[in-house]
Amino acid sequence: MIEVGAKAPGFSLKDHLGRTISLDDQIGKRHTLLLFYPLAFTPT
Amino acid sequence: MYSNAAWAAALGGISIPLLSDFHPKGAVAQSLGVYLEKAGITDRATILIDAGGTVRYAASVTPAGKRDIDALVALCEQIDADWDLPEFVVTTSLPADVALYVRDHCMFSRWALYARENLHLDIPVYNVSVDEGRKAELESLGGKAQAPALRVGDTVMYESAEISRFLVEHCGVL
Repeated sequence: MIEVGAKAPGFSLKDHLGRTISLDDQIGKRHTLLLFYPLAFTPT
Repeated sequence: MYSNAAWAAALGGISIPLLSDFHPKGAVAQSLGVYLEKAGITDRATILIDAGGTVRYAASVTPAGKRDIDALVALCEQIDADWDLPEFVVTTSLPADVALYVRDHCMFSRWALYARENLHLDIPVYNVSVDEGRKAELESLGGKAQAPALRVGDTVMYESAEISRFLVEHCGVL
């Protein structure tokens, strides 16, 4: 797993509405919390 | 993406993007070291990247585990305190005369209310189970007193999935 203190690798993915979301666009504006799910429809 | 769209609809619309790391499968998860190669699934991992692009937290609770959301909220608040970021404003492109009509003991009404709550929308809610005046108003506007219903100007939509989608698409959280 990536280590705390490392630079996060960039990504660009489509969301559930078809919008493209890029990490680059968040820099300087907001923090990014990535919650990975093994499967959709599963709880927290 | 289609599965995520269905999931988002089942939740009644959500204000955060549900990203699909589908093709090539798990590529972003792999780049962060949270893809479980043998099982072919992504770990139930959490990674917090600050506004400067630095990883501030990375952990897994294993696929069968459960995240401690309260602890994550506290962590986010703690990191946010170190930053002076532009104020977060929820903008919407909803017209001013939008209103949601619901009724008691109705699952579809509840879904529509979830969408309103999840998207942080401050639109008026009328309960036609107790408010005869609003019930009559809904009937005269849309032709039916059926709820849930979303009034947008002179038009009324009655399907909860359609209501959720409309609210999500007019909500500029991101």
